Amino acid sequence: MNSQIAPGETLLEVKNISLSFGGVKALQDISFDILKGEVRAIIGPNGAGKSSMLNVINGFYHPQQGEVWFDGKLRTQMKPHEVAKLGIARTFQNIALFKGMSTLDNLMTGRMIKMKTNLFWQALWKGPAEKEEQEHRERVEHIIEFLKIQSIRKTPVGRLPYGMQKRVELGRALAAESKLLLLDEPMAGMNLEEKEDMCRFVLDVNDEFGTTIALIEHDMGVVMDISDRVVVLDYGEKLADGTPDEVRKNQAVIDAYLGVSHES
Amino acid sequence: MFYRESGDFKTSYSGDQQIFPIAFDRWVVIAFCAFAFVVVPFLINDYWEKSVLVPVLVWSLAALGLNILTGYCGQVSLGTGGFMAVGAYASYKLTTSFPEMNMFIVILLSGGVTALVGIVFGLPSLRIKGFYLAVATLASQFFLVWLFNKVPWFYNYSASGQISAPERFVFGIAISGPNSPPWATYLFCLTFVVVFALIAKNLTRGRLGRSWMAIRDMDIAAEIIGVPPLKTKLSAFAVSSFYIGISGALFFMVYLGAAEPTEAFGIEKSFLVLFMIIIGGLGSIFGSFIGAAFMILMPVLFKNIMVGGLGWPTDLVAHLIFMLIGGLIMFFLIVEPHGLAQLWRVTKEKLRLWPFPH
Ligand SMILES: Nc1ncnc2c1ncn2[C@@H]1O[C@H](COP(=O)(O)OP(=O)(O)OP(=O)(O)O)[C@@H](O)[C@H]1O
Ligand SMILES: [Mg+2]
Repeated sequence: MNSQIAPGETLLEVKNISLSFGGVKALQDISFDILKGEVRAIIGPNGAGKSSMLNVINGFYHPQQGEVWFDGKLRTQMKPHEVAKLGIARTFQNIALFKGMSTLDNLMTGRMIKMKTNLFWQALWKGPAEKEEQEHRERVEHIIEFLKIQSIRKTPVGRLPYGMQKRVELGRALAAESKLLLLDEPMAGMNLEEKEDMCRFVLDVNDEFGTTIALIEHDMGVVMDISDRVVVLDYGEKLADGTPDEVRKNQAVIDAYLGVSHES
Repeated sequence: MFYRESGDFKTSYSGDQQIFPIAFDRWVVIAFCAFAFVVVPFLINDYWEKSVLVPVLVWSLAALGLNILTGYCGQVSLGTGGFMAVGAYASYKLTTSFPEMNMFIVILLSGGVTALVGIVFGLPSLRIKGFYLAVATLASQFFLVWLFNKVPWFYNYSASGQISAPERFVFGIAISGPNSPPWATYLFCLTFVVVFALIAKNLTRGRLGRSWMAIRDMDIAAEIIGVPPLKTKLSAFAVSSFYIGISGALFFMVYLGAAEPTEAFGIEKSFLVLFMIIIGGLGSIFGSFIGAAFMILMPVLFKNIMVGGLGWPTDLVAHLIFMLIGGLIMFFLIVEPHGLAQLWRVTKEKLRLWPFPH
């Protein structure tokens, strides 16, 4: 959280990213930036390359071309767990929780990178290990309260309904207290009420903790409501980039969403 | 209401993070340990030591070890027998090379040697998963047994190719060799089991345990959270092999007294321990104990009933036992696929609310 970058300056910048899988060009020469403190939406039709973009940002995919700059530094070929240490957390389009573990343990695992007592003390569960465990438990309880999931604290997450699992996954990403939070369709498959709750949480996280957020979302209403700026992808290419209003009026975007054929 | 958690409110996180958050459980376990340490040594005889207590203790340690790797970290292993052999041969080489070395140190170092070997054989786990990893560990099982058969240095060039445990003392009392009193060998093993069960519990409820379980449940998400996959898997291999090595060392030094690798540490031992943790409960410390007790004590029980009670011929009974145990394993897996520990948990949950189920 203690970055040199002031709110409004560039936190993350991707430059000329190209990524392909065999013949499939998932991303072609994509560039955009994310400013510190903003909510940045990435939208586009199915298969546009949105999730691939997030996978590039957190080091899961390695693009054939292009650069990722984070927090003022060029980041080359990093492994996902190293990217996590830099301060990037995320949720997944298909829930990727630790199903056998409780809500509490899932969130505690989210703080993995912040814990450091050695094997010796962990084996004894005394001294620094016990202290660390308690400190982190307190932070996690904060998040549990914030997301209103107190009642499912000890429940194995595999048993929770879908909407709750999405919420726990957000909690796990929040637990990392990252600088940048990537949310891949956090509201997909939710009913209206659940969506409203989720929007609230996203905005509150952005306001209260000052976390920069990049989110992928299909629901245009949601996107227009909560995001500061929007980047639009289609077939791996960038169609538009700007404020929700600008993007909404963009002819290329309208065409893409109305399904105007590409050959025409 | 025999069993209650109501009125047992937690006012701090440390209270909630205890091993046994319910006071009743805590007291039962403390009483049980006190009984095991203080009373049992006065009652124990040769039969109870050799057929019941020491084997259950030794195999519990092996089951704990495999459960850490398979139950907690999700890496299936069929190399348990081979790793026990490493522990046994390490203790043999250590105590014959340095006869003055304290036996606690010998056993611990044997665990350490096994941990190193475990790390080496754990390396493929980064690339291969599930069933394929099981096959790779199976190769380590056969390789290790072959190694201890083939290289005379390991058995000090003895003519028989066997290793035999020399007489060794702890506080002036023999814990290995033919003259070791039953209570001494029992207490020696019990000490290791209690200490290392506690350590296993601590590791699994803390950061390391969570990183193991994260890898088990969803390795991609774990990595993106900041869990380094290779390091985490290797740590599970190391800790697991450490336990299995200690178990192998105790099995040889204290229980068998003499061993030949194919007989004592063959593939059927790997399966035995795997059955223990599946029956007891994957990812459960308590389950490792019930699983080990089940697999060791059921045959003893059946034998006592059929040979001792009914007077049936021994060889017939031996076959019957195989079938009965197999049947029981299937029965329990159908009734509760998550093992006896889960069965116990469900029973407790019911008891906890009794007599008002809702
Ligand atoms: N690991 C992979 N291997 C092969 N092809 C892939 C892989 N990941 C993505 N792709 C391809 O890249 C393209 C973009 O996929 P991506 O998942 O990024 O789309 P998306 O914008 O997230 O779509 P959706 O809205 O359906 O989630 C698709 O054609 C997809 O098939
Ligand atoms: Mg996607």
